[in-house]
Amino acid sequence: MPDSVFIYVIIFGTLFGSIGGAAVLVWFERRLLGFWQDRLGPNRVGPFGIGLAFADIIKLFTKEDWVPPFADKFVFIFAPTAIMMAMLLGFAVVPYGPGLYVVDLNIALLFFLGMTSLAVYSVLLGGLASRNKFALLGGLRSAAQMVSYEVFMGLSLMGVVMLSGSFSLVDIVNAQQDVWFVFSQFLGFLVFTIAGIAESHRLPFDLPEAEHELVAGFHTEYSGMKFGMFMVGEYLGVILISSMIATIFFGGWLGPDFLPPIFWFGLKSFLLVCFFVLLRAAIPRPRYDQLMSFGWKIMLPLTLVNLMVTGAVVLWWGY
Amino acid sequence: MTIELILFYLAATVSLVSTILALTRYNAAHALIYLIISLLASAIIFYLVGAPFAAVLEIVIYAGAIMVLFVFVVMILNLGSRGDHQEHEWLNPRMWLMPALLCLVLFLEIVYVLSFTSEGLSGVVVAPKTVGIKLFGPYVLAVEIASMLLLAGLVGAYHLGRRYLSDARGGDQ
Amino acid sequence: MTESPLWPLVVYFFAVIALVLIILGLSSLVGPRSTMQRATIEPFESGVVGIGSSQIPISVEFYLIAMFFVIFDLETVYIFAWAVAFFELGLFGYLAISVFILILVVALIYEWKSGALDWGVKKRVGLRE
Repeated sequence: MPDSVFIYVIIFGTLFGSIGGAAVLVWFERRLLGFWQDRLGPNRVGPFGIGLAFADIIKLFTKEDWVPPFADKFVFIFAPTAIMMAMLLGFAVVPYGPGLYVVDLNIALLFFLGMTSLAVYSVLLGGLASRNKFALLGGLRSAAQMVSYEVFMGLSLMGVVMLSGSFSLVDIVNAQQDVWFVFSQFLGFLVFTIAGIAESHRLPFDLPEAEHELVAGFHTEYSGMKFGMFMVGEYLGVILISSMIATIFFGGWLGPDFLPPIFWFGLKSFLLVCFFVLLRAAIPRPRYDQLMSFGWKIMLPLTLVNLMVTGAVVLWWGY
Repeated sequence: MTIELILFYLAATVSLVSTILALTRYNAAHALIYLIISLLASAIIFYLVGAPFAAVLEIVIYAGAIMVLFVFVVMILNLGSRGDHQEHEWLNPRMWLMPALLCLVLFLEIVYVLSFTSEGLSGVVVAPKTVGIKLFGPYVLAVEIASMLLLAGLVGAYHLGRRYLSDARGGDQ
Repeated sequence: MTESPLWPLVVYFFAVIALVLIILGLSSLVGPRSTMQRATIEPFESGVVGIGSSQIPISVEFYLIAMFFVIFDLETVYIFAWAVAFFELGLFGYLAISVFILILVVALIYEWKSGALDWGVKKRVGLRE
């Protein structure tokens, strides 16, 4: 049955593709940041320094598998696996091309939101289990930030859902045949991007890990591969959010016919990942209270306005 | 059909086992992890019986929001080993035997009632769109009342916390 | 709406779990063992000898944020249900959700005005105002 072989190829392609992508992104980000800061970045290992990604993995594996004696062992080990599993499961609903997906649920978008909301546990439990003041404060801050931005992360996508009338990502892509949603839902795109950055706690929203205040935040006590899993989870988050933005707002696999659909999807996601890295290079960190009130006082009202205006406009001129 | 059936029994077993583990853990964080797993398993069951929207709400609301609040509270209280000790004392048979017996009576009652309605699962999948149409059609009043309730909850939550807030802010009330 | 079969997701799910377990297992097999030293058994506190336990008082804002999050998340769910059936519900649905969002906005304005959304410092010891 070639058909079922094909689906296994997709399943394991998704799994190892996303993990491999995250590993390479660790190197790629440093390299790109290097260029933007007028230096070369890691360029010694292998061609362009890409071997560094593998060197990093080998290094993390050969570190001691250390659980501090004062920590809560069960929770301490569970925490980093949670973010990795949640992010990897999120990839299951991403459509790379027509028919190229692990599964097309009619609730795909909500499934993705659910998985990102489960990633909060990793941060919370990691901070709690470490029994360390820095870790506890970092975990709480990080989680408070993530849940605040989660509220309107879902809401910002509802304009798209209204226009396409479905939670299925395949339907959403198909609804963008004429015009990408980034044009009709620009506000939604803006809010979702900002919320996405905050969700994956990347710079400029990486306050939970602000070194000068909280050491390494919730993963202060982590080392070796368990720290690596937090790291991989974060980079998986970046890739997942980028591919979601590409799917929902930039027409996913849609593009001119001379290249296969998966290429267009990959290109859009890749450019968005580069954009994430550029943000890291370009923008300084806000203060924590600024970050929180920005979320609740500006972004949340904005999404509600976006919803009401979209609804009114479509009802007036639509149908 | 068979894969759904296998999944159903798997999810049901996971749900039951993790719930029992959640009840018997002394450590609050451990108990919460098992409770989250139990909720995720029941989300899978919801999906399998044809309610995908309910399933995903189980993940987003219960597992993704309410349990987060619980973990937050555990972190804020931050009892450490004192909490374990307290829980250990509370978990003696004198405390849970009576409620457990009463629950058993209710459970038997449900089994008895359900044994009359031989109607199995209809196998109809309720699409999210149907839920929306129903919710904002016949049940629109309930939605508005729910929003009132949530407003009351929000105000109440703030006023519970405000006491401590004004303390921390130098008593400017 | 075309429903694709569910089993690929099941396979994917178990593959993810297997991968995570393999990573955990491999790292505990490959890594060196037990370098227990005096400094490794105490929590990291920027190189200073730690004082007290990690059971420090936490500011109540975190509780408030978590509470607001749960309530607003519940509200968003109603909006989810409306958004997906937007075209079918038409004007009536729009009016219904307008009332709903209005009440939500009232809640938000109340929180805003009463200072529940302000994070800490500003009002604490009269730094400003």
